Amino acid sequence: MGVAIFLFSLAATFEWGEFQGWGNIPLIFVGLGVVSFSLLVWWRQDMSFGMHGEIFEPKSTGAPFQNIDIRKVAMWMFLMSEMMVFTALFSTYMRYRLGIPNCKTVFHSGEWVEGTAVTCFEPAGHLIASSWFHIAPGAINTFALIVSSFTIVQALRYAKKKDIDEDVRRRKVTRYLGTTWFLAIVFLTLKMVEWFLGFPLPEFLHEFNHGDSTIKSLYAEGYLINADNYQHHAFDTEYIEKHPEDYSIPEDSALYAMMQDGSHQGGKMFANIQVSATTFYVTTGTHGAHVLGGIVGLTYMTLKAARGGYTPDNAVSIEYFGLYWHFVDLVWVLVFPFFYLY
Amino acid sequence: MAEKTVLGMDLYWLNFYGLMILTLIEVLAVGANLDPVAESLGTEEKVITLWILTIIAIPKFIMIAAIFMHLYGDEDSGILTMTALFPAFFILIMVLFVGLTHPDAASSLPDWCRPGTYGL
Repeated sequence: MGVAIFLFSLAATFEWGEFQGWGNIPLIFVGLGVVSFSLLVWWRQDMSFGMHGEIFEPKSTGAPFQNIDIRKVAMWMFLMSEMMVFTALFSTYMRYRLGIPNCKTVFHSGEWVEGTAVTCFEPAGHLIASSWFHIAPGAINTFALIVSSFTIVQALRYAKKKDIDEDVRRRKVTRYLGTTWFLAIVFLTLKMVEWFLGFPLPEFLHEFNHGDSTIKSLYAEGYLINADNYQHHAFDTEYIEKHPEDYSIPEDSALYAMMQDGSHQGGKMFANIQVSATTFYVTTGTHGAHVLGGIVGLTYMTLKAARGGYTPDNAVSIEYFGLYWHFVDLVWVLVFPFFYLY
Repeated sequence: MAEKTVLGMDLYWLNFYGLMILTLIEVLAVGANLDPVAESLGTEEKVITLWILTIIAIPKFIMIAAIFMHLYGDEDSGILTMTALFPAFFILIMVLFVGLTHPDAASSLPDWCRPGTYGL
């Protein structure tokens, strides 16, 4: 609820980047306050373990969750609301993807003239899945999240082990949580590479990248939320003629026939891809924000583990965070194929 | 969280290996040339890829939820699985009725929801 208040009031205050007045500023702080208070309560609950030797984990008493830890139930409720958030993003994506003609289809239809932008859907997968190099950051990220899901499980397992030395437990839990933290950082770093930075290729690989020395970022490719004049060499008849090994215009397409009879001059197709880029960035960005939130939690937990803060009696905190982290992985299981590969 | 084994192997390691293999297949499916398969089935390569990705995503989803998130095998797994499935009805409505079935989709959306009218 706090996040919703914060986001809505922030959006109302800065509409399309322009300051709309001070009216909603207090609400921004109310949102932040609710989030901070919730985190404080959670942290206090986490700290209450073993401070004076006592263990205090309140249990639910009402149906249908009798005798289940309240924090565990709360975490599942939270995850269900998160599921609805991502479902909204997915259904938005499906609706637009199915409703707006694909840029490739529009290009082959010949219903465009160079210089005038046409609205079409350009899936990010067209750029990302275009070569092994382009797909590398996303693929590595997929493996990173799966490994991190496993390391958090291992952290919980060692935190709960009663038959090992306390120091061994401390080191194992710290290492596994630290590894999870590191993999989360890797994930966001590669996301930055993919979105904004791109990366250079060693010389011997240039020939496999059309002679280019770098893999461009989505930003450099012009795949932006305000791209109303997007161009790609796959939608350029001159480029296609020069590089028949990469692209071709199907002989049964309308564009091919029109170019043959001279009714279409060919050239570059300009595309308005704002909707496709927005659905991509909002969905993957929301997921990235969850990873960022996980990094904050993991930083605290790793430091706590390093000080020997986790014992078999209070390992549940790792379990509850683990649920969140697995959920982030679960969402990626769907985001990766549908937004990156397809 | 009791220590669980399947065929003498640790369940969590087994799950981890399974997820890694499925992900590898996923990435390979995108890189592989599936044109001959698509042609033999009378469809596009992308459709084949989408089917492969969807089919692989389902067991991955279940493996993470059931094993890593303990929705299988724990004392409270039953009620928590029911809790996790509770939004499924709403998700079905959102995905099927909003995402898929609208015939005109973006072309019949109000102006403020269409490209070119965002004030960007």
